[in-house]
Parts: sequence; structure tokens; C-alpha cells
Amino acid sequence: MTQVIKAQALGKSYGSLRALDAVNFDVEAGRIVGLIGPNGAGKTTALKAILGLIPFEGELVVMGKNPYTQRDSLMREVCFIADVAVMPRWLRVYQALDFVAAVQPRFDRARAEGFLKKTDIKSSSRVRELSKGMVTQLHLALILAIDARLLVLDEPTLGLDLLFRRQFYDTLLNDYFDKERTILVTTHQVEEVENLLTDVIFIKRGRIALADAVENLGARYVQLTASVEQARLARPLQPFYEREVFGRVVLYFEGRSPQELQQFGEIRTPSIADLFVAKMQGEGA
Amino acid sequence: MKTMPMLIRRELWEHRALWVVPLVIAGLIVVAAMFPHASMQIDSADIATPEKYRGLFGLFHSAMTVPQLLLLSVLLPYYLIDCLFAERKDRSILFWKSLPVSDAETVLSKLLVALVVVPLGVFVLTLFTDVAASAILAVRFHGAPLVRAFLRWDTQAWLYTQGRILAALIVVLLWYAPIAAYLMLVSGWAKRSAFLWAALPPLVAMLIEKIAFGTSYFAKFLGYRLKISDILGLHHEAGGQAAMAAGEHASGMLDRMTPWTAFANLDLWLGLAATAGLVWLTIRVRRHQSDS
Repeated sequence: MTQVIKAQALGKSYGSLRALDAVNFDVEAGRIVGLIGPNGAGKTTALKAILGLIPFEGELVVMGKNPYTQRDSLMREVCFIADVAVMPRWLRVYQALDFVAAVQPRFDRARAEGFLKKTDIKSSSRVRELSKGMVTQLHLALILAIDARLLVLDEPTLGLDLLFRRQFYDTLLNDYFDKERTILVTTHQVEEVENLLTDVIFIKRGRIALADAVENLGARYVQLTASVEQARLARPLQPFYEREVFGRVVLYFEGRSPQELQQFGEIRTPSIADLFVAKMQGEGA
Repeated sequence: MKTMPMLIRRELWEHRALWVVPLVIAGLIVVAAMFPHASMQIDSADIATPEKYRGLFGLFHSAMTVPQLLLLSVLLPYYLIDCLFAERKDRSILFWKSLPVSDAETVLSKLLVALVVVPLGVFVLTLFTDVAASAILAVRFHGAPLVRAFLRWDTQAWLYTQGRILAALIVVLLWYAPIAAYLMLVSGWAKRSAFLWAALPPLVAMLIEKIAFGTSYFAKFLGYRLKISDILGLHHEAGGQAAMAAGEHASGMLDRMTPWTAFANLDLWLGLAATAGLVWLTIRVRRHQSDS
């Protein structure tokens, strides 16, 4: 499969703060990758480097280009929505369509208008007259009508109510995603995206804590729920994180087979949200 | 590519004052020409010789044009200080950067708006205003023979007047280009209070020079770059100031100025070189702005 993003020893410092510490990761075409980490872990720094907004150390190739030096041509193939990339309040809806149509050769105006017809957004409205949810709908309508190979979403649903958030991801899956396209999404609301991701990258204090396809997680990680006594017996198998729930202990193992563990209690593949918490809190947190 | 025309339209969407204010003023001039109490008295002596006639004719028609161009000296600096500051203030910079438009295109489009699109657009607007207001006055004063003679359409004299105003306008814009580029650089760089940051460095430089050396070369230099009479060739006329003081028609200025001599002035070219440097810096600065 073709690689859309390849990062090798990617680093970035802000003064004495090491925001990204020589990280390696790949993103292949046709995947939906979640870049997940707590606030300040380096998610946004990684995205900014990928989008060519900041200079970086190490090697980073996005769609075969150096994002920093070849940013202008890269932006024809890459789209992004960032929670900080707000649309200007003075802009009218039809002006937004006119503008993107003129500068982005891959923009399909009729498609964007089709999306907007399904909403309550009027083409003469200014952004300042729209609700936050409507602004996101407008932004999404613009982005979905661009035939981009890579879509980068940075906390795209921040501040939206549940209804809009669901709608956002549904639209994304139904109207945008196909095997040619790649989506990279960051969020700290893991539960919201876990059902749509094909790959996850956990990032913790500037380092990659986990990077794998979701389908491989079952083979790598096991979650064991056991009684306190059973948990004591299972501990020599070196769980990387454990927590207590209603008098029972939940232990997380990496690289252990289910057969090995099922004698101690109930086993299952951890959800991405559980795995995230385990990875962030465990292993020398 | 359609990018540059669209970037220019974008500026006019955001900064509507750039075209709304000149349009309103043009409307007011035309309306004022219709008012019954507008009066015009002309002595036969005023248009006794062709020179006097041409001078008065020029004064009349530049009265329709020059106020609008003076207004630009308020509108354009305001625009330039705001143009790159606004997108960071409203946090829309990443939205614009998410589209395939380079920083160079963005910065150049803003400079083009300030130095070409708006000034020339307003100049063309003043030509229409002038023709419309003159036509209205000609109809209203058709009973007064002297006024009628004066208001008679004279293509040659009109082209002479407007041509000279246009030449002066172009020279002034080129002369002010480095100041425009400086304001834009501040606009792209200042984190807050862009207006203050635009004024502060020259003031501080003047103050430091005064305290450290007791001189005021920088103030003189700044005064020189802000003054337009020299670059328009008005200082060549020895009796110019005296004639003005004697109450001669301002119309004489139109005849006396020699804007084309500016192109032989090295300072104009040095200013343009400085403009290029400042624009390059502004592009670099915007390249590194990724959020507010």
C-alpha cells in the first residue's frame, strides 16, 4: 500500500520544551487514523508539521513531499479542519464557495451546494450569523467537496453538541471516505471516534506510546477482569496497567495470549478508550 | 490562474470601507451639484487668457477628484495596518492557510489592493463623478453666459487636468510604497495593538537619536519620505511658494508640477528596493504565523 505520511525521527522543540521527541510513524492510504493523546502531548505539533505550518527536525514526507518546503503544492491535495482554524466572521456563505472554487482546483462547487441544501444555512448568511454547529457544517461542506487525498481533522467537533458530533462523523464516513482517501483525526474524545478508526497512534509526552492497526490490537492486547486473589496470580505475567472496578481488578497485558490468561478470569480485547487510558497511565506514567 | 483576482475580491469583501466610503463621497458630490443653492460666480477676467481659463478649469475639475484621493491617505494606511492583523485577531489565519494559496500570493494581493486596485479604482470613480457633476451644473447654470462658457465641455483641457492628476497619483503611490510595505509588515508581525506598533518604532528611533546624539536626521528623513511636493517637482519652481503665498490659484500647482522627474530621482528607486525587501520580510513573517 502507498504511504501517505512517513515520519522518521520527527522532532520539534519549543524552547526547552520537547514537543515531539524523534517519533516514527507511517500512515498508509485508505486508512482512518486516530492520533490520540492528552492535551499537550504533541498532537497539534505533529499535525502542524504534517501540514507544513512549522519547521521540524528529522524526516517527514507527506504525499511524497516535504510539507514545509513544498507546502503550497501540498495544500492542493490536503485539506484540514482545525478547531483553531475558524472561519472569518465577516465571510458570507456564497463568498466562501466563490473563494474556494477559485483557489482550489479540486473543489466541486455543486457538491458543496448539495451538502448545504440539506442544512438550514442560507447562502447569503454571514458566518457570524450562524451557530457554531452550522459553521462546522459549512466548513465540512467545503472540505467534503474538495477531492483531497488526505484530510486532517484537529479536534473537529470541539464545542459541538452530541447531535452535531454524530452527524459530523456520519457525513464523513458516508460521503467522504473511500479506499483512496486517508483521514487523520486528533481528538481527546476517544469514545466518539473509536468505531470509525482503522488505525490508532497514541502519543504521550512527545513520544509514540502505541501505533497499530485496530485489527491487530486484539492479537496484541488482552484485558483481564479478575478477582483480587486471581489478579495476584496473574501479576507475574506483567500487566502494564491495572485498575480496580467494583472490587474486581482489571489488568492490561501486551503480548500475552488469551489462552495464557483465561484461567484467571474474564478476558476480552480492550476498547480503544480503555487501552488509551491504560497506555497513558501505565508504564512509568 | 484565478487566484489573484479572487484574493483581491476577498480583500474588498473584508474591508468594505475601501469602496463604500469613496462611493458614498462620490454620491454626495453628485447630490451637492444638484442642490439649488450651489452658486458659481465667474468674472470675465478669470477666463480672460487661455492660461487663466485652463487654470480655473483645472481647479474646478480637480476639486471633484483630489478630495477623494486625499481620503485615500486615511483609508489606505488604516487598511494596511489591519490587513494581516485581522486574520490573526479573528483566528481565521489557519482557515486561509488550509487552502492552496501561498503566503507570497496573499501578501502581494494585499499590497496590490492598497497601491493599485483601490487608488486607480477611486481615480476612475472620480472621473465619472466629475463628468456627472459637471453635466448637472452645466444644465443648471445654462442661463449664466460666463459660467456656461466655463462649463462648456473641453476634452483637451479635461484630459490635461486628469492626466496630470493621474501622473501625480502614480508617483505619490510609488513614493509611499515603502511606507505601505512597512505598515503591512507591522500588521503581519504585531501580536496586538498593530496601530501602536506601527507608530512606536519611528518615534522611539527619533527619541533615541535626539537623546544619544542630539540630532534629528531620522525625523528629517521621515519628513522627507512623507512629503510629496518635492517628488512631484513642485520645489523646482523658484517663485512657487511665493506665488502660493500671494494667493495665486492652487490651479497653478497643476501646471507647475513635474511628476515625471521623479523617475530620475534615485531616492524613488531606493524606496522601491526597500519596498521589495519589506514585502519579502512580510511574506516570511506570515509563513511562520500558524495561529493566534
